Amino acid sequence: MFETFSAPFMQKALFVGITVSLLAGLISVFVVLRKMSFIGAGISHAAFGGVAIGFFTGLNPVVTAVFYSVAVALGIEFVSRKGKISEDASIGIFFSSSMALGIVLISLSGNYTVDLFGYLFGNILAITEGEIMLSVLVAVLVIGIILLFLKEIFITTYNEEIARVSGIPVRAINTLFLVALAVSIVVSMKIIGIILISALLVIPGATAQLFAKNLYFMIAASCGVAVFSTIAGLFLSYEFDIAPGGGIVLTATAIFLIGLFFKRRK
Amino acid sequence: MKAIEINNLTVKLNGREALNKISLTLDEGKFLGIVGPNGGGKTTLLRTVLGLIKPASGSILILGKKPEEVLKSGRVFGYLPQISKISPDFPVRVIDVVMMGRYGRMGMFKWPGEKDRAKALEYLSMMGIEALSNMPFGELSGGQQQRASIARALAGEPGILVLDEPNTGIDVIGQEDFYHLLKGLQKRFNITILMASHDIGAITAYVDEIACLNNIFHYQGSPVGALDETVLTDLYGKNVDLLMHTDVCEKCERLRRT
Repeated sequence: MFETFSAPFMQKALFVGITVSLLAGLISVFVVLRKMSFIGAGISHAAFGGVAIGFFTGLNPVVTAVFYSVAVALGIEFVSRKGKISEDASIGIFFSSSMALGIVLISLSGNYTVDLFGYLFGNILAITEGEIMLSVLVAVLVIGIILLFLKEIFITTYNEEIARVSGIPVRAINTLFLVALAVSIVVSMKIIGIILISALLVIPGATAQLFAKNLYFMIAASCGVAVFSTIAGLFLSYEFDIAPGGGIVLTATAIFLIGLFFKRRK
Repeated sequence: MKAIEINNLTVKLNGREALNKISLTLDEGKFLGIVGPNGGGKTTLLRTVLGLIKPASGSILILGKKPEEVLKSGRVFGYLPQISKISPDFPVRVIDVVMMGRYGRMGMFKWPGEKDRAKALEYLSMMGIEALSNMPFGELSGGQQQRASIARALAGEPGILVLDEPNTGIDVIGQEDFYHLLKGLQKRFNITILMASHDIGAITAYVDEIACLNNIFHYQGSPVGALDETVLTDLYGKNVDLLMHTDVCEKCERLRRT
């Protein structure tokens, strides 16, 4: 195993992988508690549209995906709040239309095969130095912001009305979380891939919730599951030459199932 | 100063008038019971007072201030919503729930400290459930959750306590104790209490004033006057059987002694 991780590109992958896993583990806690797994899946698929904009315009796809995903996240929230449709329907519309936009733009821009596969399923070989720096920086920043507002996010998750009566700007906190969710999706995209990233936003939190008696324990357990799955997944990816996203998500799923087994025996 | 002054208040929910031109004043330190049928606007009135709903017309002043200002300060109200649906595996201990009640007082970027923990424990013991402080909130019975939630509402040391059907989940024997406890809190801390309930019979012995609400106020004043047949017919419709409670429930007393 040490041999596997001695290759420089694997060390880089590991470094960025652990950082984004900590972020995903933290975000996952609230995705699960707020029952936002569908919006997570929606935004991550919509990120594909953002990547395609990058391909089409020649800008860095990670950068265009960040802006696009944040816009979609806010759009979903706005439409379901102002419009007459449910959040569920709003997610469905944004997510499929973004993917459609992505398909059209990618067809138009011609060269897609290798790169695109990396965005969809994760490709640690394709991460540039600049993207590593960007991902780590953004991940640390988002983790910092979430921890800074942890108390407010927690009480808003517990009960929005109680939070409002306590003087907490609930809408601003919800928007902040949504933006953090969208950004987390994009920074983890190249490791895990668009298709599977929503799994890492649900499974660690769901596993942690099986045993968590308080918030801090749940955060620690969720981050633990996410980091372990990423390390194991990257190892499997290297050893068996498979896309890392698959290995990471299957590892996380296995941990969840083991957890569920022990929980039911209790 | 008046704790609450409501003038000609109309509130619309989805185009329907939930409250129609109601007026009310309540002195500081008084205990007001709001009774009426389901759908009569009790919850709407409480939520409007809290500043969670904007009225269509009319005015509200809370300790001389507008509800929006009061809401932003986060320090005036302790609020117990109607049964909060908390998933049983929500990762929160009883003590954590009670400390949430102090968040408004703490403000942003601050963390609960020793003083907040001590206050939380103090209110938990007042509610008689100090021993449960480290239990997961979701594992408590309905009545215990309700007690913990009231400790939370009190933990912010509010000037006004707003309770929406607080007796839900508390058994009949427990209810008398519960109202007694509220009365004690009112006297001890000089808190103004607003409580919605559909249990008109039981609360009359404890509140200072009663307001009978069914879109409009059908009665407002001393509790005894509310137990009048015409008031109750106006409020709930025809065919109301008024079963008088006495303060002493013999059966309960017997049960309690055994």
